[in-house]
Amino acid sequence: MASSLLRTSFLPFHHSQHGYTNSTSTFHRKCGINGVAVAQMETRKAGSERTTLVKGRQIKRFLNFSGEKPSTPLLDTINHPIHMKNLSIQELGKLADELREELVYTVSKTGGHLSSSLGVAELTVALHHVFDTPEDKIIWDVGHQSYPHKILTGRRSRMHSIRQTCGLAGFPKREESVHDAFGAGHSSTSISAGLGMAVGRDLLGKNNHVVAVIGDGAMTAGMAYEAMNNAGYLDSNLIIILNDNKQVSLPTATVDGPAPPVGALSKALTKLHSSREFRQLREAAKGITKHIGGQTHEIAAKFDSYVRGAAGGCGASLFEELGLYYIGPVDGHNVEDLVYVLNEVRSMPALGPVLIHVNTEKGKGYAPAETAPDKMHGVVKFDPKSGKQMKSKSGTRSYTQYFAESLIAEAEEDDKIVGIHAAMGGGTGLNLFQKRFPDRCFDVGIAEQHAVTFAAGLACEGLKPFCAIYSSFLQRGFDQVAHDVDLQKLPVRFAIDRAGLVGADGPTHCGAFDTTFMACLPNMVVMAPSDETELMNMVATAAAIDDRPSCFRYPRGNGIGSTLPQNNKGTPLEIGKGRVLREGSGRVAILGYGTIVQSCMKAAELLQMLGVSATVADARFCKPIDGDLLRQLAREHEILITAEEGSIGGFSTHVSHFLCLNGLLDGKLKWRPMLLPDRYIEHGSQNDQIDEAGLSSKHISATVLSLLGQTREGVHLLNQ
Amino acid sequence: MMRCGYGLAALPGTDARLFSPEPSFLRLPRTVHPTRIKFGSFKIRAKIGEARKETSFYDMLGISEKGTLPEIKQAYKQLARKYHPDVSPPDRVEEYTERFIRVQEAYETLSDPRRKALYDKDLALGLHLAFSARRRYQFDEELEDQSEWRNRWQTQLSELKRRSMSRDAGGNMSWGARMRRQREEQSKQV
Repeated sequence: MASSLLRTSFLPFHHSQHGYTNSTSTFHRKCGINGVAVAQMETRKAGSERTTLVKGRQIKRFLNFSGEKPSTPLLDTINHPIHMKNLSIQELGKLADELREELVYTVSKTGGHLSSSLGVAELTVALHHVFDTPEDKIIWDVGHQSYPHKILTGRRSRMHSIRQTCGLAGFPKREESVHDAFGAGHSSTSISAGLGMAVGRDLLGKNNHVVAVIGDGAMTAGMAYEAMNNAGYLDSNLIIILNDNKQVSLPTATVDGPAPPVGALSKALTKLHSSREFRQLREAAKGITKHIGGQTHEIAAKFDSYVRGAAGGCGASLFEELGLYYIGPVDGHNVEDLVYVLNEVRSMPALGPVLIHVNTEKGKGYAPAETAPDKMHGVVKFDPKSGKQMKSKSGTRSYTQYFAESLIAEAEEDDKIVGIHAAMGGGTGLNLFQKRFPDRCFDVGIAEQHAVTFAAGLACEGLKPFCAIYSSFLQRGFDQVAHDVDLQKLPVRFAIDRAGLVGADGPTHCGAFDTTFMACLPNMVVMAPSDETELMNMVATAAAIDDRPSCFRYPRGNGIGSTLPQNNKGTPLEIGKGRVLREGSGRVAILGYGTIVQSCMKAAELLQMLGVSATVADARFCKPIDGDLLRQLAREHEILITAEEGSIGGFSTHVSHFLCLNGLLDGKLKWRPMLLPDRYIEHGSQNDQIDEAGLSSKHISATVLSLLGQTREGVHLLNQ
Repeated sequence: MMRCGYGLAALPGTDARLFSPEPSFLRLPRTVHPTRIKFGSFKIRAKIGEARKETSFYDMLGISEKGTLPEIKQAYKQLARKYHPDVSPPDRVEEYTERFIRVQEAYETLSDPRRKALYDKDLALGLHLAFSARRRYQFDEELEDQSEWRNRWQTQLSELKRRSMSRDAGGNMSWGARMRRQREEQSKQV
């Protein structure tokens, strides 16, 4: 788009720290009337009224991001997509802008995912204008971008509760609304689900439309190709919208600034719409031929259109080969174009599978998001005027950061250590590793399965690969872990971040199952640190384990402030040995696995106030489990509580196995496991979730008290 | 068959370098006098006249035509600081702003190697496309981008329509085609 004159590489005085300035005497966008450009300079008061400029044929509004509730006359009339049917194209464009204002206003107060939604404002408006949910199905891949969809489908009044306990989910959710056709959270599932819905519709003889909206990042996952391959073969009517904004990883940026997207696919997609170089040469040529005059100019023009056809068509073959009809690229911020194309496609009875390539800009319309290197993908509360996030200052940093730093410390001394992640450089902390060792960090795109086997290949050659993958995303690669890594006993190290309950993202991102599925593998060493020092030591331990695979899990959140080893370089722990943190003098022992040990310590303090002295131990290893420690605890105490933030089949199961087989349950011991209940815990704050799951320190101490027969004290404790 | 030298490179798959419109390739004299241009539109001739009188970007920045990028940058920064409306004397804001805009334009063109190349070429031919004309060129470029896309997908849509008419004809045995045919028949029966 024609940018304001000041948005060039050199930004002098006006580029204040705030991205979207309201300062006086700013330069406006040029206004082009009949193609003659005239630069306008206007003075604007802060908190100004909206001005409308004419640019070409489009009306450009200035959006209100002042922090007050935006005035949204059009949006106020929309409670259901059916209310959008009678809007004109201009009104739809205005609606998209009002959506943007509403989004920034809402997300600035709640936090959440911002820029994905900003980028698809026009697309969402166009889709709901053309299609009729809930009969027609619109499936949003991943779901980060579904906020405008939620607003338009009757959930606007509840948007202030998004991602909060008992509020709206941050992703589409079938239980929440009929307009949410398919739940999402992990990527690249939309085409598969869409195809399933299309085939189901065909079998039932129905006539609705199915639209799957998938981004270019999600397109890097194999599952999308599996789906497209099948779609091409089945030839069922299906509309796939490829939302291309050149953002493949999260963020598509390094620590120092934006980075080009990873993968060969992005280049292919770029070829599909960028013929700029060609055009510039063409322009220069046209200029020359004009001088030559008359006939030659005509001839050159003919030749030009011939070549244009040839150059433009070749890129689409990627999708055509898979059997999808390719349409595009279409400007994803032009409602008129979108509505036109969608209407045309909708009206064709024998459509088959169609892919519409739509070009958008992530964060479009909100300058702080457009200019931020991570595009303000996921934000906490922020100031809408400036885009500055209100990150709370904590004394400690996140486990992710501690992990990254200790991995860097290990890699300084051992040059065989390499880092692998799947499009999550920021989330896993490996962007810090990348900065330090750019050639030893690999971002494979959204491809966990490939990441795991890729790591296995690296391990075959004697390197020491550290795969940093979120617990719930690792689920996708389980077969690769079992078959490619564990079966062959390859020393791949898995750094499992976001283990346990994760808060606002909800059950789609909850890391409940990793201990279960890792510890059941015969060769895997499975461990969990109880604080950041332990984490650094476990990174060192994993680096030292060179004859078998290993993994360690850590949660979302900040450390507790324990003393870090010097230079962040941990010391390897003795494998299969836990430790006792607190010696009690009584009959009670609490054994924790992972960071829940901190809650166990707090529980012990609560119990102490009631006169009960508890021993607290940190198991450290789930596999190989510390048998001696278990025997000691079982023999010296009458009550044993084990606690973990994981599902059934994990640490507690291994404890039970050991205790049973060693006859330790044949006597007077009362053992109770505490783990995540057998249901999904809804999104909310992490503390609320822990309470809901019954794993807080109060719950642990209450359990102890109930075993001691002091149930009333236990209930009293819980209610404090 | 295309006669001009330009057309010899019409075959697809040939080296893109052959599209480069170097004057020698096209057998033109080094400089072309704009007054000799025959297309006869007054507006264009007037613009060319204007263009000849205008100072070139290099003159505006006060550097030689062989200026390197750091030199261009430095000259630009100096002038930008001098002519910025915020620091201009209050009675000459308009004039200074205009200059600032031109300096900005000059920098934008000269700092982008591709645009600089095109600009240098024009200059060699004795043309300095005036501020507004060049802006319109860029502006048109974007519109052209869009209209090119629009043309492309409109063609694609018509082709799809055409295909969809005959898609489920007897021979097509895909699962989807079979189901669509079945549904057609069922709806006819009702």
